[in-house]
Amino acid sequence: MNDQAGEAALSLQGLVKRFGATRALDGASLVVRRGSLHGLIGQNGAGKSTIVKILNGLLQPDSGSIAIDGRQVVDASPRLIERLGVHIIHQEPMLVPGFTVAEALFLGDEPRLGAGRSPVVSWRTMRRCAEEAIASRFGLALRGDTPLDQLGAAERQIVQITRSLLKAPRVLVFDEPTASLVRSEANRLFAIIRRLREEGAAVLYVSHYLEEVRDLCDTVTVLRNGRDVATLDPARTSVAGMAALMVDRDLGAMFPTRSSLPGAPLLEARGLGRSGAFADLSFTLRAGEILGLTGLVGSGAKELVAALFGLAPADRGTLLLHGRAVMPASPSEAVGLGIGLVPEDRRRNGVALDASVAENATLPGLVRFVRRFLLDRGREQEAVRGLIARLAIKTPGPDAPVGALSGGNQQKVSLAKWLGTGATLFLLDEPTVAVDVAAKVEIYRLLADLAAGGAGILLLSSDLAELRGLADRILVMHRGRLVAELRAADATADEILTAASGGAAGSAPDGIAA
Amino acid sequence: MTAQSLSRPLSSGQMPPARLLRIGATLLLIVAVGLFAAMAPGFATASNLADVAEQSTVLALLAFGMTLVVIAGGPDVVRGGIDLSLGANLGLCDALYAAMSNAGHGDGTSALVAVGAGAAVGLVNAVAIIRFGVPPLLATLASMNACAGLELVVTQNTVLTTDSPLLGIVAGPGALGLSTTDWILVAMTAALLLVMHATPVGLRLRAVGLHPRAARAAGLPVAAMGAGAYVAAGTLAGLAAIVQAARLSGSSPGSGDILLSVVLTSLLGVVFSRRLQPTIGGTLAAVLFIGCLVNGFQLVNVSSYWVNGIEGVLILSVVALRSLLQRPG
Amino acid sequence: MSVAAPGPAALRGIDLARAVRVMLPAVMLVIVACFAAASPTFRSGGNLVHVLINDVTLPALASLGMTLVVSTGGIDLSVGTAADLAALAAALTVTQGGDALLALSAGLAAALCVGVVNAILVAGFGIAPFLATLGILFIGESVQQLATNGGAPIYVVSNFPPLLDRLAHGAMLSIPIPLILLAMLSALTRLLLARTAYGRRAHATGIAPAVARHSGVPVRRVLAITYILSASLCGVAGLLLLATVKSYVPLSGNAFLLDAIGAVFLGTTISRDARPNVPGTLLGVLLFGVLRNGLLLVGWNFYWQQVAVGLLVLVVLGVSFGVRRRGRE
Repeated sequence: MNDQAGEAALSLQGLVKRFGATRALDGASLVVRRGSLHGLIGQNGAGKSTIVKILNGLLQPDSGSIAIDGRQVVDASPRLIERLGVHIIHQEPMLVPGFTVAEALFLGDEPRLGAGRSPVVSWRTMRRCAEEAIASRFGLALRGDTPLDQLGAAERQIVQITRSLLKAPRVLVFDEPTASLVRSEANRLFAIIRRLREEGAAVLYVSHYLEEVRDLCDTVTVLRNGRDVATLDPARTSVAGMAALMVDRDLGAMFPTRSSLPGAPLLEARGLGRSGAFADLSFTLRAGEILGLTGLVGSGAKELVAALFGLAPADRGTLLLHGRAVMPASPSEAVGLGIGLVPEDRRRNGVALDASVAENATLPGLVRFVRRFLLDRGREQEAVRGLIARLAIKTPGPDAPVGALSGGNQQKVSLAKWLGTGATLFLLDEPTVAVDVAAKVEIYRLLADLAAGGAGILLLSSDLAELRGLADRILVMHRGRLVAELRAADATADEILTAASGGAAGSAPDGIAA
Repeated sequence: MTAQSLSRPLSSGQMPPARLLRIGATLLLIVAVGLFAAMAPGFATASNLADVAEQSTVLALLAFGMTLVVIAGGPDVVRGGIDLSLGANLGLCDALYAAMSNAGHGDGTSALVAVGAGAAVGLVNAVAIIRFGVPPLLATLASMNACAGLELVVTQNTVLTTDSPLLGIVAGPGALGLSTTDWILVAMTAALLLVMHATPVGLRLRAVGLHPRAARAAGLPVAAMGAGAYVAAGTLAGLAAIVQAARLSGSSPGSGDILLSVVLTSLLGVVFSRRLQPTIGGTLAAVLFIGCLVNGFQLVNVSSYWVNGIEGVLILSVVALRSLLQRPG
Repeated sequence: MSVAAPGPAALRGIDLARAVRVMLPAVMLVIVACFAAASPTFRSGGNLVHVLINDVTLPALASLGMTLVVSTGGIDLSVGTAADLAALAAALTVTQGGDALLALSAGLAAALCVGVVNAILVAGFGIAPFLATLGILFIGESVQQLATNGGAPIYVVSNFPPLLDRLAHGAMLSIPIPLILLAMLSALTRLLLARTAYGRRAHATGIAPAVARHSGVPVRRVLAITYILSASLCGVAGLLLLATVKSYVPLSGNAFLLDAIGAVFLGTTISRDARPNVPGTLLGVLLFGVLRNGLLLVGWNFYWQQVAVGLLVLVVLGVSFGVRRRGRE
């Protein structure tokens, strides 16, 4: 506990929220004091997002109490909550696409001409106030009429924060604010948050990046199964200690032990290139091997995966799959060649939330169930039940919509799609982002099993622990080129980071969580 | 922290697609007008252009309504804002006005009933869409059916001829050699431009359509504003009905056919706007463009049967161009 | 803080969702019962066949195509165009002395053209289906007006090929041939949508196009097939219409459009996951047919039928979307 912290600005006591049979919150309490930075961590499903929604007034708790500056809040609507001075900085900025900086800042509260009561907006005042507000807070010279879509993620985040600051907030809630930021942008945000604390604001910082929370916060509350299981001082706790509190499980046993006996070359790239994305890539992925791939934003690693899956084909060089020259021009062609992709943006590209587990799981390999033009539903059900068992997918049944599953189980479905399609090359793009630890462990185990069965796995990840724990070798890309190939067993985090940032040692690279 | 620039400005020298499209569309308009001026002797006269505006007024009022609905509902054609009932609503209000007037009611009552009926249809749409969550396309399709049926019930599928002082004024000459109808177009355009650009309404309506969650977070009454757009569109259809009654001296079946032109102009209007968004100004430009096209064809003796086809080709080229320009890479 | 009892609310949500699924059949039953009680003619077997052939078969065929298109997340406004152009091509062939087979092939080829153009626009250029098919609808109107000198019907009463006549008026095992045709095509469409890989991919494309693409579904091919199938089914409807009335009336196919869209979306209410499905669509078309026929028989004006259909669709959709929205919250 931070002894200097002031009086309680926000106090949640014994919150309970049920959804059907599950309890999203089961008596969660926390107190955020004025002038303090309070971290809130927990696995997916621990109740973090339910708390944020309650603080937003979007959900009402079934029981428990909320007090803001000592005042009990009953039947909070979004408007009431905001009037009481609680402002939430969402993960994706709540900014209207196509608006300018000034419009975004003053939407709903536009400066008027004349005495301020006239119905006519003073667009000029609005622009000037916007520029002044951002400059005075953040020392950033942004023109008020700049369209938001010309700004970087951090600048949009700054606009969002400024919008909240204009309303003199009592409590600021940051909900996973760094999810879409690269490292330098995140650092800039941290400096801003620290300043807000010095100015006396109460800040609740919700994140699943434990390092971030440790470095930033004065106090941390750990949520598990809808309950606050610990409130601790991060200066005296290790990341592993926090993680252990979140999961009741030792992090050390997360990665399966693998006996690596790579077989014949499965995928060979020779001088592969795509203009504007990457150039002159040569590497080999052997059967039974897990090949790590990493790089900063703009390194070309994502584009390489997109090219291998036919989303944006390479235009130079050759690609050999099982020794045969191929160049998939579309995803359907790639799938036909036995390539599967688990995309990063699961809810957008990975699984259809409104379709059932079965429909999702068999979508890429439907052909195998076709008998005389018709789908053999019996065999399909049987196969899906097999997949559910094999991946330990927690679902009410094969016909339940994927949207009803937890994030980790959705990701397992996204992976299950490729099992049984005869795919031999698996491309994984950040497969464990926003996945809870239990599901993570199962996904790692499955990848190890697939490799042991002779598949080739290309694992694109910015999680260094994951790369070192799971891969055999790690390819590092920088500015569209391959800059290092490291043996995972020997590679240190420093080595990887240095290579990824172009070999300039000492500088903190973007986008990689160490 | 590195000193890198965080913003990613558009690379210089490359014209943003939106601007390219707007310039292209404006050029096309100028070329079309120029061609007609050269080929049809009567085209470029002031009186003919005033006629074009007069002939376009009904379409413009409906297209303004559609524009409001699209702004408040968002740009997605199926899930976003659209009001297919505008044409049938126009027909119904026109028929009601003519029938009331013929039944001996005064101008005030008749006009009130016509405009009120338009607003009521808008309200029905608003309730179905905002309150019950029926996709706008389906809700307004159904209300369009109901309106078209009601119009037939009122008129028994006949032409209702009527005459009244109000219609006389609307169809008659106004100041500066323009007709009153022309002035109605000018006044409505000015009023809407003022509301949408000088007051916060335009900005807020855009927020509601493009990012309802952000609008709600900004404390805007999202549902009420969305509903307001449909009611406003219905009211505009009622007003348009009075202009239509003046032009036709009553009501005649088939006025619902204007719907396709309304959809076309509200779409086409987007390419005349700065950021490829629906605006009142852009829609007006599109309406006048179509008006010139139809008028010009008449003057150069091209069969009116071509008009629909050319409008269809226009829609397809606009949207094909837009999807090509917006395609990444 | 209000403390809500958790159980009953959740249970009520489930029951309501079930109730919505039986709403369409229930409304159907109520309507049939009311008309049967009110009109002896309605009860007669002859009337039932009459309804099926005259009021249901043709819109049902167009609706089958629409079911496929809506499954892929699109909409086809050119169903009437495909039907009309098929009828036009066949009518012209017959008047030029062509035999039945030639006429049928010409008609189907014309419909296929519409489908292929739609496929190119939607699957090739990536144009929003609403806009692509709207453009085709416009162009189709022009083509028909130009081909018929402004909309004059083409009568083909003399020398009408017997085969075509049998298609519309013949019977097999005393079942009218149009009904057999409808049953066969419905069964095929049902199989296609519910039991084949194409159907599964079509639904996936409609629900989550990006996921479909990332799962290796050939999305463009699926879309192209869908629009071509839709136009072909509409072509059959157009040919059947020509054979039934022995004349081609321009733009008469547009009457199918509203029924088709309405029926498909009404039909989604009987499906657990709110997807378009063939039985639901047929039920929707049947409901429209029965409603029109029944209202006619109990002496309601023809014009009121349209009002009734519009309002009914609005109410059914309002209830079903309202309940679904409640369930999601």
